[in-house]
Amino acid sequence: MTTNDSPQSVVIVGGGVAGISAARELRRLGYDGDLTIVDAGAAPYDRPPLSKDYLLGTKTMPDIHLAPAKWFADQNVTLVTTTRVERIEPDAGQVLLSDASVLHADAIILATGGTPRPLPVPGGDLPAVHVLRSAEDADRLRAALTPGTRLLVIGAGLIGAETASTALHLGASVTLVDPMSVPLLPAVGPEVAAFLHAQHPERGITTIHGSVTGIAQESQTSPLVATLATGDTIEADLVLAGIGITADTALAEAAGLDIDNGVIVDYSQRTSHPRVFAAGDSSRRRGPDGVLSRRAEHWDAAEGTGRAAAAGVLGREPVTEISSWFWTDRHGIHVEGVGDMSPSGTTVLRGTLGDGPATVFRLDGDRVVGAVSIDDSNAIRAARRMIDGRISVTAEDLSNPEHNLRSLLRSTASKG
Amino acid sequence: MTTGIKIAEVGDVDDGEGIRIDKAATGTEDDIALFSAAGRYYALNDTCTHEKASLADGWVEDGAVECPLHVGKFCLRTGEVLSMPANESTVAHRVEVQGEDIILYPGETPSEETE
Ligand SMILES: Cc1cc2nc3c(=O)[nH]c(=O)nc-3n(C[C@H](O)[C@H](O)[C@H](O)COP(=O)(O)OP(=O)(O)OC[C@H]3O[C@@H](n4cnc5c(N)ncnc54)[C@H](O)[C@@H]3O)c2cc1C
Ligand code: FES
Repeated sequence: MTTNDSPQSVVIVGGGVAGISAARELRRLGYDGDLTIVDAGAAPYDRPPLSKDYLLGTKTMPDIHLAPAKWFADQNVTLVTTTRVERIEPDAGQVLLSDASVLHADAIILATGGTPRPLPVPGGDLPAVHVLRSAEDADRLRAALTPGTRLLVIGAGLIGAETASTALHLGASVTLVDPMSVPLLPAVGPEVAAFLHAQHPERGITTIHGSVTGIAQESQTSPLVATLATGDTIEADLVLAGIGITADTALAEAAGLDIDNGVIVDYSQRTSHPRVFAAGDSSRRRGPDGVLSRRAEHWDAAEGTGRAAAAGVLGREPVTEISSWFWTDRHGIHVEGVGDMSPSGTTVLRGTLGDGPATVFRLDGDRVVGAVSIDDSNAIRAARRMIDGRISVTAEDLSNPEHNLRSLLRSTASKG
Repeated sequence: MTTGIKIAEVGDVDDGEGIRIDKAATGTEDDIALFSAAGRYYALNDTCTHEKASLADGWVEDGAVECPLHVGKFCLRTGEVLSMPANESTVAHRVEVQGEDIILYPGETPSEETE
């Protein structure tokens, strides 16, 4: 095909949320050609529960499938599981699989996600040092987490904090170490970051501000000894490293596509090769001004960029940009964030942190630029629309929990 | 045809909002989320098909409700699932306004003309 024709065959590499969302959107937009999803793992599943209900054991694999088996049949989507894509040949429109078969593809969507960063210290590769990205990782961790297990979590970001909370629930004795005195500052702003981090010791987790410089284990049956930069040591039965991921860009790199800590894409998720698109955790946007955005590592961004890639493949208008959104659950609370909490500016608190639903809004003049809530999803839904609609607000509108934010939005919308 | 059950009165649900009605009162398999949107009433099974959130607490917009937990979206009229992470539709029930009363017909599919 030439790139202007509509494609007759699309291969999606990766059946995470980005890949599945791209497939759904292709069919929703009326694409009726061949559609294949290839994934190295088993049937596509959702990752957020892996540190929450799945690790806890209250959800099993069928509960977290991204789509029921019937969906693939109904939508005429070929799902190739437990098979790796070894190489893509964009010029030839070929996708080479680990079982030596070759798929033809007029368009390829790379939705390969990321791999946990290994702990870069001596002993970081010991078998009792875990990471958490896949269901297999979660199964291994779960099997090792018996009541009384001493778990050392390295990195108190989203996954570290969630896993610490779940492990505590499972009866483990948990220590959480992070080089930042208050982790997650850029994601949630200082007020909520401090509140969230203070929850850990309140629930019985030992928090340590510091860095682990090495892990030693005398024999396979002896405990792990983690050494901190201060020289102090911590004994543990197992370690979870939650220190972030690296984007899986190997296929793109081997095919000669532009990469820079992610596969570089434009607003239609197109890579530097016209036949290849990328979405989700593995992709990174370059704006029309040439500026690279920060690579997103959240569920909603993966879902949205998956849809955008589908539109891109079909040559449709790019999906409307909306502000970034994520959630995290720990210690029985549901946290959501939208927009950007990192710039300076004024903050407005709605409610009381630690006492029921509460939200912190970040304002730039009379515009909301970010918001983070505890158990107050609708404030975030409203904030998202205020940010995207560039709606003028006052601190008083936002801070009074008696003011209904939906009514406020409706009244500003009707004022035009 | 099932008999209707009075589940609320006009004015109990603000426009663009939802309320949850306990299954003990409706006799349905799940609690019922009753929504008012653009002058019409809609009733869906309340529990999101993804996890356990109450759709009555969701965000109502453009004929759909967005789940308060992970923004899975459902059509108010048909219960059809419109976006991930939910991947199963929910059940919509016919509701009718009779005088000041809002009447639920459990298990009856709403018509195009649902009030
Ligand atoms: C434990 C955990 C908890 C999380 N919790 C939250 C949360 O609460 N809120 C939130 O917003 N986000 C959360 N996230 C982040 C969210 O899950 C990710 O942003 C999302 O999964 C990214 O989707 P993706 O499709 O880009 O990548 P992935 O989900 O990583 O999927 C990529 C897929 O590609 C496959 N693949 C890669 N290379 C190949 C190849 N060469 N051949 C074949 N297949 C290949 C992989 O096997 C994988 O299945 C969490 C993530 C984890 C790991
Ligand atoms: S519980 Fe409704 S979308 Fe997850």
